[in-house]
Amino acid sequence: MKKIVSLTVNGIAHEVAVEPRRTLLELLREDLGLTGTKKGCGIGDCGACTVLLDGVATFSCLTLAIQADGGTVETAEGLAETGKLNRLQQAFVDHGAIQCGFCTPGMLMTATELLRSTPQPDEHDIRMAISGNLCRCTGYQKIVEAIQAAAKESS
Amino acid sequence: MILPRFDVLVPETVDQACAMLVEHADEGVRLLAGGTDLLVDLRRPIIPYHVPRCDGCTTHPEGKVASTVRCEPSDPLMPAGGPLRAALEDPRHAAPKYLVSLHKLNQLKSIQVLGDGSLKVGALTTIAAIPRSPEIRRSWTALADGAANLGSPLVRNRGTLGGNIANARPAADTAVPAIALDGTLTLQGPSGTRTVAAEDFARGPGLSVMKPDEVLTEVHFPPPLPHAGSAYYKLANRKALEISTVGVAVWLALEKPGGPVKDVRVALGAVGPTPILAESVGEVLAGKTPDEKVLGKAAMAAAGDARPIDDHRGAAWYRVQMVELLTLRLLKTVVERIASHP
Repeated sequence: MKKIVSLTVNGIAHEVAVEPRRTLLELLREDLGLTGTKKGCGIGDCGACTVLLDGVATFSCLTLAIQADGGTVETAEGLAETGKLNRLQQAFVDHGAIQCGFCTPGMLMTATELLRSTPQPDEHDIRMAISGNLCRCTGYQKIVEAIQAAAKESS
Repeated sequence: MILPRFDVLVPETVDQACAMLVEHADEGVRLLAGGTDLLVDLRRPIIPYHVPRCDGCTTHPEGKVASTVRCEPSDPLMPAGGPLRAALEDPRHAAPKYLVSLHKLNQLKSIQVLGDGSLKVGALTTIAAIPRSPEIRRSWTALADGAANLGSPLVRNRGTLGGNIANARPAADTAVPAIALDGTLTLQGPSGTRTVAAEDFARGPGLSVMKPDEVLTEVHFPPPLPHAGSAYYKLANRKALEISTVGVAVWLALEKPGGPVKDVRVALGAVGPTPILAESVGEVLAGKTPDEKVLGKAAMAAAGDARPIDDHRGAAWYRVQMVELLTLRLLKTVVERIASHP
């Protein structure tokens, strides 16, 4: 039997009828069409599905939609304001932190959480923060530089 | 990799959760906390590993499963085609029909230092919240160390202290410090609550003394002693998303700075079917002045208590050596810390 889940996604309130086994990831991608959040491993190893749930970086593949009932979700689609990339997104572009791009939405959300709690992270803080987000292209260096640059710009 | 079909029940109180566990016991029901273990296992599907399934690990209200499957401490992972096959084919061990999601039990999400100086951590406290607590970092350091090194930041954001302990994995990064810090677990069931010492909780990989109708509600730690300290070290191949090869937690109290050892507890992870309290260490160290020679003997005693297996994370002989090395290092670290911050 489906259950009603109420949640706010990128500032917009939604009510969605979901099967109890539906994950937050499936709700975002399939019910709301927000395909910016990626499905990677499905078992919490890769971090491609990272969204912010009530401000906390969260595997959307290991969170049931029902567990997000009443919650506030932020996804990569919500980062750009008025059609313009935000500072962090632009830094990823400028520093070559995107190659295939599959890890990028998750990286952006993890980095967003980091920069909110630690506006001026050092390299160690950044590497620790993204240690649950796998990137198989960049070797991480460019991603670390992009996050550092975004932090510097905001200081 | 869609999840198997199940219904999700959302209790508002622990009593309701227990009632749900009782009501659906025959259809397959599991508690869902952070989901970082359970939802992974439901996908794989390796759920039988997580179903208590041996004599003494009360599996079912009537102990129905106990007759088909047994866990042997000498063979903790069980041979393919053996008891595990039987468990997989048992319909009661199929994916649960009900998950009792505890996410609304906000009363179990707190970290409190009580009036007597002891520490109470609600079972649904996230792993990430533990090392953020200045009190835990200062007075229950080993627990902060364990939590800070569990999984990855994303796992720590969702995973819970209760979930990590209740899953009863031999390498659990918070269970090992909980034993060294003399933690006590509170289990609430339909007929009331009981407490279990952290070292008496796990009975084998994924097996525990928790009954199918019980909920782990809190972990309680005694007040810090003067001239005492603790630390945990996770030996692993990577710094994130790793299961430890060896985990060692040490808690030690001196009579006075530079004085003899008043009390010590060393706990070991990933070197036995459960996290282990290395009881021989206390016999070696009690009343002795912690010099290099005595600490070396204590570390050897800890290595003697380890019962590791060979697996892809490390050979048994290597694990035993690492227990000795890490125990010695941690004992020295704690003694030095007590000397610098008496």
